[in-house]
Amino acid sequence: MGDRPAGVIGEKVERIGSRERLLGKASFAADIDLPEAVHLVAVRSERPHARIVGIDVSRAQHISECLRVFTAEDVPGRNRVGIIRKDQPLLADDKVRCIGDPVALVAAETLEAAREAAAAIRVEYEDISALFDPEEALRPGAPLVHADGNLLGRRTVKRGNPEAAFKHADVVVERVYTTAHLEHAYLEPDAGLGYMDGSTLVIHASTQNPHYDQKDVAELLGLDEGSVRIIQAATGGGFGSKLDLNVQGFVGLAAYLLNRPARMVYTREEAFLCTPKRHPLTIAYKSAANRDGRLLAADIRVVGDTGAYASYGPAVLNRVALHATGPYELPNLFVESVLAYTNNPTAGAMRGFGVPQIAFAHESQMDLLAAALGMSPLEIRLRNCYRIGSLTASGQELTGSVGIRATLDAVAPQYAAAVRERNGTVSGHIRRGVGIGSMMYGIGNTGQQNPATAHLELTLDGGVVLYSGAADVGQGSSTVLAQIAAAELGLQPEAIRTVIADTLLTTSAGATSASRQTYISGNAVLDAARKLKEVLLTEAADMLKFDRAKVILEHGSVRAVRDADRSVSFAEIARRCHKLGMPLKWQGFFDPDTTPLDLETGQGVPYATYAFATHVAEVSVDTLTGEVRCLRVVAAHDVGKAVNPQGVHGQICGGVAMGIGFALMEEFVPGQTESLKDYHIPSAADMPEVIPIIVEDPEPTGPFGAKGVGEPALVPTAPAILNAIADALGVRIYDLPAGLERVLQAALSARKP
Amino acid sequence: MPNDRDREIPESVTISFELNGKLVGLQVNAAETALSVLRDRLGLKGPKEGCGIGECGACTVLVDGLAVDACLLFAPQLDGRTVETVEGLADRETLNPLQQAFLSHDAVQCGYCTPGMLMSAKALLQGEAAPGRKAIVEALSGNLCRCTGYLQIIEAVEAAAAQECTGRDAKE
Repeated sequence: MGDRPAGVIGEKVERIGSRERLLGKASFAADIDLPEAVHLVAVRSERPHARIVGIDVSRAQHISECLRVFTAEDVPGRNRVGIIRKDQPLLADDKVRCIGDPVALVAAETLEAAREAAAAIRVEYEDISALFDPEEALRPGAPLVHADGNLLGRRTVKRGNPEAAFKHADVVVERVYTTAHLEHAYLEPDAGLGYMDGSTLVIHASTQNPHYDQKDVAELLGLDEGSVRIIQAATGGGFGSKLDLNVQGFVGLAAYLLNRPARMVYTREEAFLCTPKRHPLTIAYKSAANRDGRLLAADIRVVGDTGAYASYGPAVLNRVALHATGPYELPNLFVESVLAYTNNPTAGAMRGFGVPQIAFAHESQMDLLAAALGMSPLEIRLRNCYRIGSLTASGQELTGSVGIRATLDAVAPQYAAAVRERNGTVSGHIRRGVGIGSMMYGIGNTGQQNPATAHLELTLDGGVVLYSGAADVGQGSSTVLAQIAAAELGLQPEAIRTVIADTLLTTSAGATSASRQTYISGNAVLDAARKLKEVLLTEAADMLKFDRAKVILEHGSVRAVRDADRSVSFAEIARRCHKLGMPLKWQGFFDPDTTPLDLETGQGVPYATYAFATHVAEVSVDTLTGEVRCLRVVAAHDVGKAVNPQGVHGQICGGVAMGIGFALMEEFVPGQTESLKDYHIPSAADMPEVIPIIVEDPEPTGPFGAKGVGEPALVPTAPAILNAIADALGVRIYDLPAGLERVLQAALSARKP
Repeated sequence: MPNDRDREIPESVTISFELNGKLVGLQVNAAETALSVLRDRLGLKGPKEGCGIGECGACTVLVDGLAVDACLLFAPQLDGRTVETVEGLADRETLNPLQQAFLSHDAVQCGYCTPGMLMSAKALLQGEAAPGRKAIVEALSGNLCRCTGYLQIIEAVEAAAAQECTGRDAKE
């Protein structure tokens, strides 16, 4: 069709929401003032595992401005939340399972009074032996975190005959890798505000999934879903953490039971204490290749600590297993991924669902195999990477948009230049290193339905309104969705008005997670746009008395292809449709084509499409101090089609920053790490030069060919950096983060004869 | 645990200062932070609380032209000063050149760090005619951002600085 306007898909557009943020006028949940709002503070467990014997609230109740103390008994509905498994109480009933578990909730007229009352509440506990190690938690006879056992889940993937293949391999490499708990450290601490609007409970929330929030809050309070309205406030980053409920249940409970507005804002310390973390994993990885570098077999066993509650653990479990090979063909494979409950902080979704951790392992293995074979790291990846027709770990045949090779080719010149530069740089105790890291990432939820819906409305004045439940948490989905609608309707994105993430006004788009909104909501929007376009063309052809095949959409009108004067405006069509009693709102729907996985072999079609990427990192390592500087990252990403290239660059640079943190500095130590004072994330001064390269291998089922980039942006950085450190020192680090001490130790061991 | 009820009732103080070009006066609690006075008493929600301990910079405002963390400043310390917040940058809805540079470089993602970033950048541009990249990075290194990876922000500040230089040259 020749009626797609230039300057929409793949062009620079103004990001929706930026202007109000620059003016300081965007309303984040903590910015919304409601007179009469009560302040909420939770009383949280200081014990990792204990039975609750009693809660004495008498002293709190004597504080004059304290209105009410809620405990588990006050929860009117089902006192359990959780997106996959309902195993987490809003307020602890029989026992606490980790430090930070909420035991009581105080509502008071002022924040000071709420804090004072919370501090005055005495909880009597009877300690139960606590578990901090997942392997220990899985031993027979271990204390139970949940009554039905400490195993959250186990996923196996089996292909071919790895045992036999290992016997015939020319090289076998076997190593163990570990990663730490990580904190998301989004800039906006969790916050929310609830109030009753007639009989409807309204909650303004900092969230990635308003339609899930609505369901769980309704069930907590014993209300029907229609009585709860969640409106996403401006949300200051989420990275997976804000997929779980944070304050929604608390403000809902208080607003509903007190019939007064209620607000709750976490302190940074509280956000650190009680929101989910990235799963720490222990990965035992054995892989083998033949002399010419072809991978033959892998045996990969992963044990992870999911902490006190399930959260998104089951999703991590599956994703780790299915991504364990990386973007490489492996005909003989055994993967086992196990997560166990412990009394550590809950681990949940964090940008990549376990893939950043497993990518660290598979990319280290690739370099080790290459070294054993005397082959270049780039070459071994080129020889094994997926191509059209490859079978993935789950036996899925890749039929299109397999851009991994293109990302390797894209970084190859810079990689070669970086290696030359490194060879020419000799400077005493400062060593230079170059590393490469590749990845694949399945877009959308794993092996299950995860549809999105969206609506487009033609208003009587000819305007177009886009309704989507997709929470934009800063990644820019609203802009991309508006671009997609605009492109299909012959408009500029600014002409589309957006209504986003309000459960009363929009229908579910599913979670803003799994890098899924561009592909899945994008397709839902495109579906709605096509329906609207169909009506516009049909009606216009009739009004213009012109062949329907020869009219096009342009700037809010439909006109004859060769006769610009023969046109009818969207407004005229809208008024006519309205007069005829035709609807002016169209629903779009998309659910990626997947199949459930075989329980035993993990075979199936878990994702409809995959994103691919390769990063090259250049580092300098100070062998006297252990300091690593990341100097440059070349980041090539196959995104199918970059709907908003500036936005893709933003995701890549942000992902690189988070990858640097994961590689070099971030570690959340349960029971110790308190806040940003002892948890360091990269600052502007830690950033290398980043050269983003957008590779576009169009996805046939994607909107305008698009896939996704949110999580892929982060995944290859840490592996590339760790491979670069190994390149610099000649000694490899197997445990993240590679902080000063670990690097120094590696440097010292390199010096030994 | 210390008993909060034993603490002395703090004195209140009357302060006045210039806020975004207008004189304001009010009575504040001596232990109140400047951030809470700006946000809760004066309704300026631009400055954000991200950590409360001066680690993240989301609350950055200018006091007598210097970028400071409003969460670490006591309200009485504002007395007699000139205070600028993000709300003072634009002329009504018209973005100033720095804000415009952020917009066109796509330097805003979630936007929670944005007000603080803008104020740190403004302090730099006021003090230095043509700051290089190093000076910009240094000026922004107290402002954490988890979304952007900083590069688009740094480029926006570079562009605003270059524009300011050109503007100055043109005037001279």
